Amino acid sequence: MQNQEKCGASCEFDDWSNFEDEDIMQQQSDIKAEEAQKVPFVADKEPLSALASEYQSGSPILLEKIKVLGEQYAAIRRTRGDGNCFFRSFMFSYLEHILASQDQAEVDRIKAKVEECRRTLQSLGHADFTFEDFFALFLEQLDNVLQGNEFSISHGELVVRSRDQSVSDYVVMFFRFVTSGEIRKRSEFFEPFILGLTNATVEQFCKSSVEPMGEESDHVHITALSDALGVPIRVVYLDRSSCDSGGASVNHHDFIPTPGDCPNATSGSTETTIPFITLLYRPGHYDILYPK
Amino acid sequence: MIDFSRVQKELQECSKDIEASGIKVTPVSDNLVHLTGIIPGPVGTPYEGGTFRLDITLPDGYPFEPPKMHFVTKVWHPNISSQSGAICLDILKDQWSPALTLKTALLSVQALLSAPAPDDPQDAVVAQQYLKDHQTFLSTARYWTESFAKTSSLGVEEKVQKLVEMGFPESQVRSTLEIVGGDENMALEKLLSS
Repeated sequence: MQNQEKCGASCEFDDWSNFEDEDIMQQQSDIKAEEAQKVPFVADKEPLSALASEYQSGSPILLEKIKVLGEQYAAIRRTRGDGNCFFRSFMFSYLEHILASQDQAEVDRIKAKVEECRRTLQSLGHADFTFEDFFALFLEQLDNVLQGNEFSISHGELVVRSRDQSVSDYVVMFFRFVTSGEIRKRSEFFEPFILGLTNATVEQFCKSSVEPMGEESDHVHITALSDALGVPIRVVYLDRSSCDSGGASVNHHDFIPTPGDCPNATSGSTETTIPFITLLYRPGHYDILYPK
Repeated sequence: MIDFSRVQKELQECSKDIEASGIKVTPVSDNLVHLTGIIPGPVGTPYEGGTFRLDITLPDGYPFEPPKMHFVTKVWHPNISSQSGAICLDILKDQWSPALTLKTALLSVQALLSAPAPDDPQDAVVAQQYLKDHQTFLSTARYWTESFAKTSSLGVEEKVQKLVEMGFPESQVRSTLEIVGGDENMALEKLLSS
């Protein structure tokens, strides 16, 4: 928001437009455009060695960790660092998985979950028209990655759509709705985690850190999205922390939705569930990782 | 590209409960890019009884970008410029979300009238007065509400008469006063420049 200096200045013009805000917004969109030049919403798949070359002159711990990463993972797909990278990575990774697996049962399962999310938002007092377009666009992508009908799309087309703002941003917003709905529905569960992150109430947190585009995701968002849609997510952490045991190791955390809800869970045992979505987390950013 | 079908739905939804909320959104032009919002001054505030008009322009990226709003009706409030009508409210800037609507945005503006945030001012003069001389703030805000936000009051007829006496046609005077939210000086400026 504005500071006092801004107000002092704004009192001097008689014009009815707010010059400075316009300027700031223009500047921000210029910065975004510049960022867009560097990385599309979803980039091309690159071998893991591309990651190593990024740190060639950097921290030896990181280089060591990337080497360890290379034992399990083959490739990385970068996403744009616009604050939506977690949701965007999840979107692409999930749809790509369905495209490759043609898992009709999983599609039916997630559609039932999406319906549940719709009812959650309704019960929280959202008017249907505020979210229905976003829901419809996600469901459309889901149907399109299934092959064998006239609207089926190829992997190349999935990449194109993920880079198209009018599809990509709508799907990101769909996930933001779902995440916010889940957090508010189970506010008692999420409250302590949110208090650990900020001083905000659950309601404030959703309004300021989940629903606006470009707000970065934390473990609260990931837990909520994974639970709401019943999709397990693995996050691999690449940071400078070193372990005492000498050799470098790379930590990961699996976000596993409550048993019974996840697609691969067998008889309620969550330990055997291996997420088909793997994201690489570097402080402040998520990309997609591909196992060997 | 503005999502017009969404804007259309918003307008329908908003017109459903005008009675309850008092909040109105109407298109200025046929293309739904330029709209007018009306919010009643909240009860128990110096804005009570006033009807406040806002100018709304939808950016190309709506609903991914926030609607541009400013007060047309002059208002004395720490977070609203007394000169330009510019509003200092986070949801109209970086805290906007496509989950919000024109109506919820106007409700937030109305809530801002009830709960000023003088530590984060848009208008430093008003904010200083709010903090240091609250009584004067209250009576100024009330006076501005009486003078500018009550278009149905007798004041309007006097303004019309005054401007007609200056030689402007009555119908034009009335429509101009309507556009500027009843501000006599602004109406005069507009009439002179047209």
